[in-house]
Amino acid sequence: MTSGINETAPAQGPKDTRTLYIDYSKCIGCETCEAVCKFLYAQPRIVMVRTVDGQMLPLYCRHCDHPHCMKTCRTGSLTVDEQHAVLLNPMFCRGCQTKSCILGCPYGGVFATGEGVAVSKCDLCASRRKKGDLPACVEMCPTGAILYVEREAIPGLETDESRAAEARVTDFVRPRKEKS
Amino acid sequence: MSAEPRMNFAFLRSTPAAAVGRNVGIIGAGPSGLAATGYLAANGYQVEAYDKLPRPGGLMVFGIPSSRIAPDRIQRGVTMLERQYGVLFHTRTKICCSAPLHEEEGDHFSYDMVGLADLLERHDAIMICTGSWKSRKLGVEGESLRGVYSSLEFLFPIRAVRYASPNVTVPPVEGKRVVVVGAGHSAVDVAHSAKQLGAQSVSIVYRRTATEAPCGRYEVERMVECGCTWLEQRNPLRFLGEVDVQGVEVALPDGTHEVLPADVVVTAIGEVPTPPFAKELGLENVRKGDVRWLNMTALDNVFVAGDVLTGPSKIGQAVYSGLRAARSLANWLDLRAQNRQHEYDAAADLVKR
Ligand SMILES: Cc1cc2nc3c(=O)[nH]c(=O)nc-3n(C[C@H](O)[C@H](O)[C@H](O)COP(=O)(O)OP(=O)(O)OC[C@H]3O[C@@H](n4cnc5c(N)ncnc54)[C@H](O)[C@@H]3O)c2cc1C
Ligand code: SF4
Ligand code: SF4
Repeated sequence: MTSGINETAPAQGPKDTRTLYIDYSKCIGCETCEAVCKFLYAQPRIVMVRTVDGQMLPLYCRHCDHPHCMKTCRTGSLTVDEQHAVLLNPMFCRGCQTKSCILGCPYGGVFATGEGVAVSKCDLCASRRKKGDLPACVEMCPTGAILYVEREAIPGLETDESRAAEARVTDFVRPRKEKS
Repeated sequence: MSAEPRMNFAFLRSTPAAAVGRNVGIIGAGPSGLAATGYLAANGYQVEAYDKLPRPGGLMVFGIPSSRIAPDRIQRGVTMLERQYGVLFHTRTKICCSAPLHEEEGDHFSYDMVGLADLLERHDAIMICTGSWKSRKLGVEGESLRGVYSSLEFLFPIRAVRYASPNVTVPPVEGKRVVVVGAGHSAVDVAHSAKQLGAQSVSIVYRRTATEAPCGRYEVERMVECGCTWLEQRNPLRFLGEVDVQGVEVALPDGTHEVLPADVVVTAIGEVPTPPFAKELGLENVRKGDVRWLNMTALDNVFVAGDVLTGPSKIGQAVYSGLRAARSLANWLDLRAQNRQHEYDAAADLVKR
């Protein structure tokens, strides 16, 4: 990290597999990621929630290897690009009432907008990537909690704290059933 | 693989656009001012940012503890603005009123004070991003006793002392009994800082319950884990003592009173904005959205953004406000250059909030 500014050239190797990873134990819930995304795209694609114990944390798309949202969408509006970013095609999306993609995402990473195209989701800043720029939320996070990393590197980045923090988010998105 | 080593305020463009031949002054280099600076600099504006403190960053550097935001991340972002985007930072420079703008008694200049009117002459437009720094008072007896601090009075010197400011001393806390009033994020920061500085005990007094605490139950539990005492449903009535504070008298829900012994008391119940020249700028109207132009004040070419406008918020909201105001400022200068200001559709701009 001594080189200072990280150049935004694509990662070496034949295929770029970078995606977002948020270390929730470093996140201070400042909303900057949401704010920057909203500034660029009008509807934010990374959205703050307040967990049961009152912590503010952002929900985001994991661009899964086998995206559940994509499977549930019957209009074919969701596709993956060469970097395996899951993209929403607003031309095909008809904002169906079933909200299958929103309900289908185990991470709460697809968002209802309540206007226009009914759904918003992260495309890893597709237009910025074309220019070799990094995702805007990654650039502006004050704490460095959001990383843009090769998928394979993610398990190695997790810590006990990050997993514990992630569990609080998971509890929010998928509340555990009370076992009686 | 590690995080990007800096906050990239000029994230909009990896290289600045061709120079547009316009010069903008930003007053206050907190998150809102830096976001506006980055936006305009990336779009080819010459930007000069003024801040009264020795380092840019605002409360990200001088309020929020460094364990939560590494100050280096901000400084590297600032350096990037300087080197790659040609931004000029004037630190230790306070912007104040000046006679030509409106005559006011007691207006005086010192060499590190610059008047708003001077700035208006120097720049095509300016933006005020001075934040919300005045601490709200509890309004109880004994609030002016020695040893009673507001959250920023307490936190600011802890951070500022790193920058070798001569007039700054860290509040003496070691071995002392500290009582913190309030349960917002600044109360949490005060509690943790007091612990780190070696306080004998730290108690947090809040008038409601942990579930209602603005900082959230999670933060309350973390303070308790760190050895702080959480005292809920206690309403502070007065601070006791002759010269130095000695205790806090609180009321319990059943109406009885209780005295908490204390050597240091910190009231952390929020801040209020202290805009320079609020009236002249018509900030009340800007807040209500009653404006000729998004984020423009009653003075042509003077814009405003961030907590100074909205009151205490969060970094994200300050950043958003700074970006919106910067875009608005650029649009204003463009239309004005063609003498087409009247074509501006304020209503359309406002609904997109
Ligand atoms: C203790 C504390 C903890 C906080 N914790 C969090 C948190 O965890 N997460 C979060 O999102 N938010 C937090 N906040 C809120 C957050 O810091 C603010 O909302 C945000 O910094 C506001 O940004 P700003 O740019 O509007 O103003 P500021 O950050 O206040 O910056 C204003 C700048 O203007 C300068 N200035 C003021 N007057 C003049 C003048 N006359 N001339 C020249 N310069 C001037 C100041 O020196 C300062 O640098 C916290 C606030 C406090 C006080
Ligand atoms: S910008 Fe970073 S620290 Fe702030 S809420 Fe987003 S992930 Fe968390
Ligand atoms: S990568 Fe881009 S689109 Fe996705 S959440 Fe971040 S800013 Fe928004």
